[in-house]
Amino acid sequence: MSPRLRIGGLLFAALALAACVEPPTAPLEAPAAVETEDFELPEVAATSVERRAQEVTVRVRSLGCQQFGLGSGFVLADGVVVTNRHVIEQPREVTVNTWDGRSLAAEVTGLATDTDLALLQLEDAGDLPVAELRTAPVQRGEEVFAIGYPGGGPAQVSPGRVLGMVDGTVLGEPAEVIRVEVEIAQGSSGGPLVDRDGLVVGVVFAVEVDAGIGLAVPVQTLLERLDAGELVAPGAC
Amino acid sequence: MLVVLLLLATVGAVTATLAAVDQRDVAAQWEERALALEAQRDIVDEQRAEVVDQLEVTRDALVASERDVDELEDRVRDLADEKARAEDTATTVQVERDVFIELSELISDATGALDSCVTQLFDLQSASVEAFNRASAGQDVDIETLNVRSAEGTRFCNEARTTAASAEAAADRLLRS
Repeated sequence: MSPRLRIGGLLFAALALAACVEPPTAPLEAPAAVETEDFELPEVAATSVERRAQEVTVRVRSLGCQQFGLGSGFVLADGVVVTNRHVIEQPREVTVNTWDGRSLAAEVTGLATDTDLALLQLEDAGDLPVAELRTAPVQRGEEVFAIGYPGGGPAQVSPGRVLGMVDGTVLGEPAEVIRVEVEIAQGSSGGPLVDRDGLVVGVVFAVEVDAGIGLAVPVQTLLERLDAGELVAPGAC
Repeated sequence: MLVVLLLLATVGAVTATLAAVDQRDVAAQWEERALALEAQRDIVDEQRAEVVDQLEVTRDALVASERDVDELEDRVRDLADEKARAEDTATTVQVERDVFIELSELISDATGALDSCVTQLFDLQSASVEAFNRASAGQDVDIETLNVRSAEGTRFCNEARTTAASAEAAADRLLRS
């Protein structure tokens, strides 16, 4: 190698060394607090939905002119309870039992004439939790829960799926009713059918005895009756 | 020319030496920095481990609380169910009591009517015996009075029959409902 090249190389190396590495300049920061993601506990969330659904579901005892009836219902705002017409027809005395043991006197304020729905008014609703209604129609295959007091016993949550909609005219209903694969027994009548978010999508009112398939009046029918005020007073004994 | 080159080489060598010394200091600073960062990483690792432990403890506590709440709610539901059924029974007993009270009133009415009937019959019997004795003694007998009493007794007894039949029908209806 020629002396010129050597000297040139030395110069280049010197310049490169001078330019290559900078000292650390930014101050060392203290470690930030460890952040965690939100607790994902789906089983707790599911339990909460069931718990909430049970809290808004009530047991309805009706002493009629000729019969003693037991059924289910659910609470709406202002102490209004939705149940089935066939649970409380010709009532003399109606009592609502809550899941936690309260017994509340109620009065029948309206019976639907063309669908198996009825409204009660609690004399003192207190701090009862209120059900939320879902306006969007149910979808076939959708996961739902039926809550009620089968046989007049403790509140029971029965999971299942929507099988579809069926013509309700043969059952005395004005529109389609929800056909649902859910365990339903006598005493469940009037109880809510809720989706996985706990929103009420229907009112249980019958069961296909042979197939054991539950039937529910869609919330849309209930809302139409409430909006139109198409409810009549109960008959006297 | 050679002198210039040598001069340049000397300058270059001096510059390179200075740069090397400077870079050695920089390297030392970076090493120090790396050690500090490593220490920080160890702290963060410890914090993370502590947080994970806390999360596991919290989760266990949450699951235990959830289980406890479920058990308590089940108990509340069972008690509420017992209370509701007791109220059902009380309501049924109340209905039965009302039925028995109504039955009792019906039976009381029927018994009262029958008692009036029997009283009328006793009176008629006494009047008839008296009339028979008077006739045997050759005295006058007021047949018209006897006929009036007889008609009155018949009316009372027919009313008693009607009341009893009505009570029987009502009892049948009440006990079957």
